[in-house]
Amino acid sequence: MTLRVAIVGCGKIADGHVEEIQKMPEVARVVGAVDLEPIMAEQLAVRYGIEHHGADFSRMLREQRPDVVHITTPPASHLPLALEAIDAGCHVFVEKPFTLRHEDSKKLVARAEEAKKKLSIGYTYLFDPPALEMRSLLRQGVLGDVVHVESWFGYNLEGAFGKAVLGDPNHWVLKLPGQLFHNNIDHLLNKVVEFFAEDEDLPAISAFGSVRRRARLGDHRDRMMDELRLVIRGKRTTFYGTFSSHTRPPAHQLRVYGTKNTATVDFTMRTVTLETQSTLPSAIGRLVPAFSHAMQYVRAGGKNVGRFARSDFHFFSGLHYLFREYYRSIVEDTPPPISHRDILRVSAMLDEIFAQLDVQREELGS
Amino acid sequence: MTKTLVTGATGFLGTSLVQRLVARGRTDLRCLVRQGSDVSHLEGVIEKHPDVERFVGSLASVDAAAAAVEGVDTIFHVAAAMGGAPADIFLNTVVTTKNLCEAIARTAPSRGNKPPLFVLVSSFGVYGVADLPRGTVVDEGTPLENKPARRDPYSQGKLRQEKLCWEYHDKGIIRLAVARPGVIYGPRGGAFSARVGLNLFGVFLHLGGRNTLPLTYVDNCAEAIALLGDRPEAAGQVYNVVDDDLVDADDYLRRYKQRVTPLRSVSLPYPVTMLMSHAVERYHRASKGQLPAVFTPYKTKTTWKGNRFSNEKLKAIGWRPIVTTEQGLERTFEHLKARAS
Repeated sequence: MTLRVAIVGCGKIADGHVEEIQKMPEVARVVGAVDLEPIMAEQLAVRYGIEHHGADFSRMLREQRPDVVHITTPPASHLPLALEAIDAGCHVFVEKPFTLRHEDSKKLVARAEEAKKKLSIGYTYLFDPPALEMRSLLRQGVLGDVVHVESWFGYNLEGAFGKAVLGDPNHWVLKLPGQLFHNNIDHLLNKVVEFFAEDEDLPAISAFGSVRRRARLGDHRDRMMDELRLVIRGKRTTFYGTFSSHTRPPAHQLRVYGTKNTATVDFTMRTVTLETQSTLPSAIGRLVPAFSHAMQYVRAGGKNVGRFARSDFHFFSGLHYLFREYYRSIVEDTPPPISHRDILRVSAMLDEIFAQLDVQREELGS
Repeated sequence: MTKTLVTGATGFLGTSLVQRLVARGRTDLRCLVRQGSDVSHLEGVIEKHPDVERFVGSLASVDAAAAAVEGVDTIFHVAAAMGGAPADIFLNTVVTTKNLCEAIARTAPSRGNKPPLFVLVSSFGVYGVADLPRGTVVDEGTPLENKPARRDPYSQGKLRQEKLCWEYHDKGIIRLAVARPGVIYGPRGGAFSARVGLNLFGVFLHLGGRNTLPLTYVDNCAEAIALLGDRPEAAGQVYNVVDDDLVDADDYLRRYKQRVTPLRSVSLPYPVTMLMSHAVERYHRASKGQLPAVFTPYKTKTTWKGNRFSNEKLKAIGWRPIVTTEQGLERTFEHLKARAS
């Protein structure tokens, strides 16, 4: 069975979705592209040879009857589009952030469950090969019990998207409850929810946001926060989260501190390294770890070369594996690759964090 | 009273265009400037002309564009995305142009329902030259690209932008005159067009060989665009913009090395570039896009096969370069040397 896929929202991320779907023609085929701006739908369709394009989402659902709808629009429209797609009998894949508010997320999950439709979200990095490798270490017990997790997501505001946000006082990112953070920190939070205790939906969070860049625009854009620190106190595990727009290079890492060993997952270098307790005595014990660490990087580099040689080292590797798993869950009617519970845990944390930042903004008089 | 709008006024070409418009006595200018843009170069040009208006706005929506075009009867549309992801290029080149044209339609009463003259800065990139024989003269009658998906995103965007403008011209919303510049160069511009070659991993691949470069010095190009605004007969027409006495890619690179900095370069003959392009495209397909298809046979034929270029039509309405190619190269290399040091 080849799934018929429609994409709604034809901005930059839609390219990534279409490219990854077109790499699995035996599984799925993109049959339609929709955007409120017909030129954007047209450009995607022309570049990727998609049969149908237009500005009318309802019409696309009616005429093309897709099995799956990928929603890659700005977040404010995720909920209404997803509900309409589910009501039209489609499975739905939503880009992050899932919706604007936790209440909306709960509503969407409930509707999908009621309609028995598969729902998933673009948590691409959870399926990147290094994340899969780290999960394997956890399963094998190499790390022991997880005591603490640090998640770091660096961002470059000088990039094309950052410039677009700061160049337009009406940009949709500025209208999100959590502004720049709202569009990005799913990637910070989704990596920690798997460490929550089974009965833990919203641990205690302390969030601190700030604006580090120099004010130069003279309007509300100058007040958009660009640095965020989080402390999350779980029942058995604690977490630090960092979103930084100024540290260079913009790192993207996860450090998992276990009772046996500590793992560092680097999503930029695509490496997983282990820090282990030295068993060697005195000065030797301090000499050897640097070399053993270097050897880990050599081995990780070798693995990456192997993946490259097998044409398995794409920018959107994680998205590719996520799509495969998601489509399999549709065809085989198995649970989707990301649990609804984890989606809701992230959206609950987002609400809590943005509520705290709102208070901080008021205290700062902005 | 007439009013003239210039979009992209803070850019490399836009600033020069404002300068040429003022020099031609057109001081009824409204320069559209995005908030946060670097206006230092534009300020230097307009500081002595109190009539020239710096209008902070954008083309991101029809509403925003409508504020800029209210009461305007001539528009020089220079603003366009010069790079970025394909979707960003379409958004910032084509959708913004649509917003501008829709805004013109909406504000028609402010200019007595008379369609404004709309001078669009298009590009040589819209021509479909891949399948033409080597040495073909590219003039305004050369066919437009009919395989846009095989071209770079910038050319795709410019092609769609120009087609869109003709649609609005045909509807009577604008009176369109199109300038299609070749490679615009000058101080503040880049050092190398891809027609000369590409810098890959610290080595400059010289791919243009003895091909003529369709250069146009930024002030000459600006003069041509300004002229189109003064010629009623330009409406409904297309004009190539290239200078006289053009140099070839070999010559350009040699002079650059002499005047700016010794550059490590490797010259690839056209057949070798074609072979490499086939290999790169094959790998791109086999690896499902693991590395970008920087080279494809189609792009190579378009960029490096070699054409000649005509500016006869532009000259027929009175354009002459105000800077010779010798002077233009001298000024450009001097600037690049100062920047490099």
